[in-house]
Amino acid sequence: MTPVVPPKPPINYGLWGGALAFVALMTVWSAQGIGFSISELWCNLSSGSRLLQESWPPDFAFLPRLIDPFIETLNIAIIGTIVGGILAVPVAVLAARNLTTGPLVWFADRNFMNILRTLPDLFWAMLFATAVGFGPVAGALALSMFTIAVISKLWSESLEAIDMAMPEAVRAVGGTWLQMVQFGALPQGLQHYVSYALYAFELNVRASMVLGLVGAGGIGMILETQRANFEYERVTLIILVVLVAVLIIEQISSSIRRRLA
Amino acid sequence: MTDPLIRQKHRIGGATWATFVLAALLLWSLVAIEFAPSRMIQVPGQVARVLSFFYPADMAYGWSAVLPAIVESIQIAWVGTLIAALLSLPLALFGARTLFPRIARLVKLISATARAFPEILLAIYFVPIVGLGPFAGALAIGISSVGMLTKLGSEVVESIDFGPVEAVEASGGSRILALRYAVVPQVLPEIVAHWLFRFELNIRASAVLGVVGAGGVGGVLLNTLRYRHFEKAAAVLLLTILVVLVIDMISGEIRRRIIRS
Repeated sequence: MTPVVPPKPPINYGLWGGALAFVALMTVWSAQGIGFSISELWCNLSSGSRLLQESWPPDFAFLPRLIDPFIETLNIAIIGTIVGGILAVPVAVLAARNLTTGPLVWFADRNFMNILRTLPDLFWAMLFATAVGFGPVAGALALSMFTIAVISKLWSESLEAIDMAMPEAVRAVGGTWLQMVQFGALPQGLQHYVSYALYAFELNVRASMVLGLVGAGGIGMILETQRANFEYERVTLIILVVLVAVLIIEQISSSIRRRLA
Repeated sequence: MTDPLIRQKHRIGGATWATFVLAALLLWSLVAIEFAPSRMIQVPGQVARVLSFFYPADMAYGWSAVLPAIVESIQIAWVGTLIAALLSLPLALFGARTLFPRIARLVKLISATARAFPEILLAIYFVPIVGLGPFAGALAIGISSVGMLTKLGSEVVESIDFGPVEAVEASGGSRILALRYAVVPQVLPEIVAHWLFRFELNIRASAVLGVVGAGGVGGVLLNTLRYRHFEKAAAVLLLTILVVLVIDMISGEIRRRIIRS
């Protein structure tokens, strides 16, 4: 008796072939476009090792001069998260299909949100640095915009999944739209909101470290000047400080988030 | 006698304390970066003034100089994502606690460290090693994406159905065979969806790498803003928003189909 083998599902050769061909073409085209070459990488490794030797050991004597910019960095991240977090609430509520006031508002807000999301954090920083001048204020404004984009996108999706019985109950007893949102919807979304706000804070801490590269304040400004002067021992020190700080803040924040979940 | 329903407890709850702490943090940060109310009132006017210079966008410059830079950003993101995908696939398997309890801890530590680095800091190191240009950007993006892709991938692997794995091992297959026939087929669709998602993020990341000379559209924006060519900067923003929106839409649609099938 031969064992009964279930038939293999048919393979869609057209789809797989097309996808593979697309990936292959895209890869070849991209690799050529950016001048990707393993041999060049190999040749350059010697200069790379020289750079690594220069950047080690880190210049710990530089540490005291990092304290003030580091605190400024945290200040930027805090302002960005709180201001952006508050502004994200109306954006998220109006972008949730079940809570919004009308299809037109929903459509406009949704597109506004998506456009906000396309621009990376440093683009905002460059724009605000141009508008309000170099310094931490530009960084705080940039991170506020970035935070609105992050929180409103995530939160509007979890608001769409809430239990609509409560908001409808508020409406049924004569509550206004604002009361419906305040008492029916937001309490259900609060946990998610806090978790997303903490997540945005993690992103902001990481982003605020590099804002200074475009003149928007914080520890990145020191990084930029040391890099321009090829003081790589100091660059290493700054990067180590950033790394340790980001890891610590992430640990704290993610342990709070886990407890909320 | 008072009605127990009417009697209210005047107790300060956790949320109130949290609000106080957050308000204090915000106030401290605002004072620390010298963001005084007098400065705040100026901000909308300054932003509006700069925005008014943005019109009309210099689209001739857009097509001739900005579009090639955006294409370069896409190529950087593609190669970077590909590097990260290839490196992270084995790491994701070894990082699954359910399959390899001992190695998983080490892999998770490595991926957490890699995630803490903003791409742009890695680019600062890669630019001197492989020279100014997009290749350095692609390497930076690749290395920094490995962390996140490993984390997400190993979470996918940890959530699989263990039946097939046990079936392969029960019929005499080795761990490697179990990976090939029981694990990879289950996790590949979701992992590919994560790759696509990372590609979307990497387009934004590669857009800013130009700031440190690692190719792409960020350098163009920085220069146009630095020399106050606002019409050209407007073209950069407009084209970036459009291209990113289109790619997000296509990639999001593909991801939805992969997950559904």
